[in-house]
Amino acid sequence: MKKLWFIMFISIANFIGPVSLANEINNQLKTYQAQGAGEFSASRGEKMWHKNYPDPKKSDKQRNCGVCHTDNLKSKGKHARTGKVIPPLAPSVNSERFSDKKFIEKWFKRNCKWVVGRECTAQEKGDFLVYLRDK
Amino acid sequence: MSRDKSKNTTQVLIWDLPTRIFHWSLAMSFTIAWLTFDDNRYLYVHVFSGYTFFGLLLFRLLWGIVGSQYSRFRTFAYDWPSVFAYLKGLLNGQAARHVGHNPAGSWAIFLMLTLGVVISITGILVLGGEEGHGILADIVPYTIGEAAKQPHILTAWIMLAVTGIHITGVIIESLYHKENLILSMITGRKEGKKSQSATKHKPLGFIILTVIVISGLVYFKGYLTETKDQPYLPFIGSALPDNETWRSECSDCHLAYHPVLLPARSWRELLHTQNEHFDEDLGLDAETIAEIENFLMENASESKLNEPARKINASTPADKTPLRIIETAYWLKKHKKIKPLYWKDERVGSKGNCEACHLDAKQGTFEDSAMRLPKLLKK
Repeated sequence: MKKLWFIMFISIANFIGPVSLANEINNQLKTYQAQGAGEFSASRGEKMWHKNYPDPKKSDKQRNCGVCHTDNLKSKGKHARTGKVIPPLAPSVNSERFSDKKFIEKWFKRNCKWVVGRECTAQEKGDFLVYLRDK
Repeated sequence: MSRDKSKNTTQVLIWDLPTRIFHWSLAMSFTIAWLTFDDNRYLYVHVFSGYTFFGLLLFRLLWGIVGSQYSRFRTFAYDWPSVFAYLKGLLNGQAARHVGHNPAGSWAIFLMLTLGVVISITGILVLGGEEGHGILADIVPYTIGEAAKQPHILTAWIMLAVTGIHITGVIIESLYHKENLILSMITGRKEGKKSQSATKHKPLGFIILTVIVISGLVYFKGYLTETKDQPYLPFIGSALPDNETWRSECSDCHLAYHPVLLPARSWRELLHTQNEHFDEDLGLDAETIAEIENFLMENASESKLNEPARKINASTPADKTPLRIIETAYWLKKHKKIKPLYWKDERVGSKGNCEACHLDAKQGTFEDSAMRLPKLLKK
């Protein structure tokens, strides 16, 4: 009997863990849709992730997400200016990612402004979360 | 010259074991203190040699009253005419040999003992006042610690000069009377009559040695148990104020630089320009800004919470508002001697990466002895 409870506990824990995480992303996606975004596309998100944007300070340089996060979503990044280590973005290697709404919005705002030069739209943010969700 | 070469002389004990141990330990602790005074990283070692030095002096002052014959002050308390006569005698070849201290040497010894006590007391005052550590921490005000610094340095230099005279005197005397006085201070023996022999006091000598060794082990024991992840940080005093919002927001992209490291006007300016913080829009909300500002204003360098706070506060002109700690006069002065190779090392990366060398950078205490330059990698 004890064993059965244990197995049930483990299966439920295994089930709830990823779901609650996905939920935070899903909640965000719903919010973005409420803000007027349409269908989300992982491939659009991926494209934006790799896209280069002009560096407003140095005309010979370009900025993209990988400047700090590296091209590999599963590896650690490094802050371009300070060198501080940034934990990986992919939820599969970093379960703490995308579990806090405030955190998601804060970094979208900060990093879109630095890379793209403006805040991202609800559509862009949704595309990106969909792209990242299964990584 | 006047040396007694008659047959009834032999090697007899003049300097008892405690006196010899005192002599060489004092010389060693003084040397170590000299070698470690300039580099703040070795302050902990400097302080230990200082305590040892002071402890030895206190013992010697006592031993000068109750010790064996030649170690007692009254056996070598010569007046100035005797010193003068002895020095004159050296020139005309009539200086008498003394089994114990000669008149000139004795004056050097009294002078060194006095200087040693002054060095020790001023050292403890500087440590307690300026650094907030040691046996007089929290008792000595900062200003007294600061005021004791120059006398500490000056007396140490005078001590070095007198030590030079002492050594020169020993060499002259050794040549003059054709006996090895340095060896005598090691073996304790000099040529004399059996009746002149001093008491040995061997056990006391070993007790002194044991006390020094055990104190050293207790004092440095943190280094014996440290690991790579948990290096031993000596001199960590009371913690500086902390704030959760400040720490989490300000450590997103870099070390959360403690408020003590810049004046209040600098922090205010940084917060009010947070939308273009070194090329980034931090996007902090008004509530967060207010909480962080509150914490920064209370603990900025004007608070004088620790030595860096005081020094940064005092060295930043009132009309200057540095937005980087590395622009402050104090930072520049303190890092002047750091070779460019260190800044280029990949483990350092930028001058704002205090943690690369200051093991207590997160706490903001920036203790002298919590500083470890990484070993430079060879290419």
